[in-house]
Amino acid sequence: MLIILLWRIITRLARRLGLGALLVPVSAMGMALAGVHLWTVVLVLIAVAVVLRKPLLAAALLPLSMVSAGLAGLAVAATAPGGPAGWVVNVFAKPLRFTSLAALSAGPMWVKGGGTVTAVGGKGGGSVTVLAPPGQYLAPPFQGKWQALHAIVVRQYQAVHAAAVRQSWAVRGGPAKPIRAVLGKIPPKGWLPPGPPKAPVASQFSMPSVSPPVGWWQGRLLVPVALLLLTLGLWLAPRMLRGVRPRVAARMPELRRWLAANRWALLLPPVVAIGMAAFGVRPWTIAAVIAAVILVIRWPVIAADVVPFALAALAAVGYLIAARWQSAPGFYQHPMFYGPVLVDGPKSAIAAGAEASAFLALGAWLVPRTIGAHLRTTFGGAPDPDLAGRVQRLTETRGHAVDAAAAELRRIERDLHDGAQARLVALGMNLRAVERVLPGSPNAALALVAEARETSVRALNELRDLIRGICPPVLADRGLGHAVQALVLDTPMPTTLDIDLPGRLSAPVESACYFAVAEALANAVKHSGARHAAIRIHHKAGVLRIQVADDGAGGADPAQGTGLLGVERRLGTFDGILAVSSPPGGPTIIAMEVPCELLSPKTSSY
Amino acid sequence: MRVVVAEDLFLLRDGLTRLLAAHQFEIAAAVDSAPGLLCALLEHRPDVAVVDVRLPPAFADDGLQAALAARREVPGLPVLLLSQYVEQLYARELLADQAGAVGYLLKDRVFSDEAFVDAIKTVAGGGTVMDPEVVTKLLGRRSRDEPINRLSGREREVLELMAEGRSNTAIAQRLYITEKAVSKHTTSIFIKLGLAADQDDNRRVLAVLAYLNS
Repeated sequence: MLIILLWRIITRLARRLGLGALLVPVSAMGMALAGVHLWTVVLVLIAVAVVLRKPLLAAALLPLSMVSAGLAGLAVAATAPGGPAGWVVNVFAKPLRFTSLAALSAGPMWVKGGGTVTAVGGKGGGSVTVLAPPGQYLAPPFQGKWQALHAIVVRQYQAVHAAAVRQSWAVRGGPAKPIRAVLGKIPPKGWLPPGPPKAPVASQFSMPSVSPPVGWWQGRLLVPVALLLLTLGLWLAPRMLRGVRPRVAARMPELRRWLAANRWALLLPPVVAIGMAAFGVRPWTIAAVIAAVILVIRWPVIAADVVPFALAALAAVGYLIAARWQSAPGFYQHPMFYGPVLVDGPKSAIAAGAEASAFLALGAWLVPRTIGAHLRTTFGGAPDPDLAGRVQRLTETRGHAVDAAAAELRRIERDLHDGAQARLVALGMNLRAVERVLPGSPNAALALVAEARETSVRALNELRDLIRGICPPVLADRGLGHAVQALVLDTPMPTTLDIDLPGRLSAPVESACYFAVAEALANAVKHSGARHAAIRIHHKAGVLRIQVADDGAGGADPAQGTGLLGVERRLGTFDGILAVSSPPGGPTIIAMEVPCELLSPKTSSY
Repeated sequence: MRVVVAEDLFLLRDGLTRLLAAHQFEIAAAVDSAPGLLCALLEHRPDVAVVDVRLPPAFADDGLQAALAARREVPGLPVLLLSQYVEQLYARELLADQAGAVGYLLKDRVFSDEAFVDAIKTVAGGGTVMDPEVVTKLLGRRSRDEPINRLSGREREVLELMAEGRSNTAIAQRLYITEKAVSKHTTSIFIKLGLAADQDDNRRVLAVLAYLNS
């Protein structure tokens, strides 16, 4: 009974939410790989929220998460100890912190009555115990035997730390292995000061498991499961992404505009992430990366200006890391990641230095492109590249507009010349003939008059078509919304309309947009073999967004000489843009965006 | 029969009134703007109005709007619209109230005055007259798999003429067939399109136009 009820609830949910609901188990599996942490739990909860609130987005994310979970699984399998890439260590391993021990290198340290110096690592860390005579200060500079003690502790520390970083996967995967083996035989004989305690200086280190075991599927099942997820994800991707494509396509013009203006700002999050990776995954390093992302989204100009500074800071960190390994061994020499380089010795330190120089060079190269450009804009002087670009664009679009207007005039002239004008000439000749034959043969005259009337009807028809091509009557009478409605009524393809246009636009914009829609729709009818089309026209926040979609064969390319290039140029005159998304196999989505204001709210005169 | 004429071009207005007077229509008023038309329609309550779609003050679809406004005041007020263009959108709006007594013709149709006068009389009598161009477009935009494509060639011709607002007699004359043959075709058309057969000419036209407009 309970099982049936549960099954019903599950099937009903699945029907309502669609395949996208699978996002939750898939993301949960992926997260289990990283262990149950606060952030993994939060990510799974976010997945649940997305499935419930935005099923379409969930459906789009499902293949992505499957592919990434599959790739992550393969990466885990490959980098596991003994795997083909076992030498790659986990970037996210928590570096051990030997706070009190690190103090040894910096300042004096009281050896407690018990005669032990105890250095305890951070959360889940380990401990190093050094037995030393009681009641003494251990203070630098360390002389004699204390220097020897110091050197031993430092060596132990480094060895333990590097081993911990290297073996972090092993540590994560299963029960902690004691790393005592790497410490070697200590202490060497004969250096210990006389007096109690007699016990030898000992050092021990142990690490508890950092995270719980991954589970049953980490073993032999990991690779097959990862491959299955990867294949399924790749197979599902085109199917699930179809639902979101119209929305993405509708946003494409906006995205292109944003990228053109703010591309350097995009460098900020990766730069911050590289810098933060050197400090490991901590709440504050994650917060810094998130802050960088927010900065890029909200204040892209500021973000772009910050990029050179961030690169300089990153380079400074790199030089500091590299410099550490050039001096005598010390507690400050933590093995750590700098970009892709694991810095754990003088050689890798040189690589880190080179990397830092590259970052610095990139930062210097970006200065005139970001800060420089903005300073020039603000304080005048040199011409603003944005402004120069704008002038160039205006010159271009003005040229196009003038050319288009001239071509249009030529077309009208030709049409009038070959059409109405010729018909009027014929009409005049007919009437002249009537004059001649009327007295003699009225019947012949009657036939000529009928012919003349026929000619006048044809001339009228041609004029009508011509005028419709210049400015469709409904467009002039009622504006874009009704004109597109009328256009759809005259189109032999079922077309859905979604128009939200609470007023008229300026006549040139209306005309350009109308002919853009007409062109797109005509292409859909003529070339795509579509069964259905959809037009969406919305005006919001000073931007007119038009989308013409069809379920046809796709493959439309504005560069291939369809009228779309002309449409793009015509819209360009109003700073409008056009984006075509038309993969082979369809569907085709043509998105247009024109910044324009509404002239007046729609009112009826009666 | 009393007529109100609305046309802003003097020559055309004059021509229209002459033509109508020659066919024994009584010209109740001849106006040149949309507000004037609305006043004249509500004041004279003519038997039929002949109205140009494009009129002052806005030179947009003012004539149509005024006619629609008058029909909201006086339901079923017969209106024949003339225009340089026929737009399906406007035809739809005219037909929307299902009251009949509307016409929508290209201005060219005035050239053949008998047909034009017939059209005025049909509208005045509560009938519906659509320009052949409207009907062609209505038929042309049907997609391939609709029942309308099961009609035979002759049935299609009958349907077109029926949609223009012609009576069985007129259709028979036009196609050189008997009236009986016409009614046989219409019955067949109505069955194929799944419409309820109706012997009343006017309701029949409205049914066909409603079907085509759907």
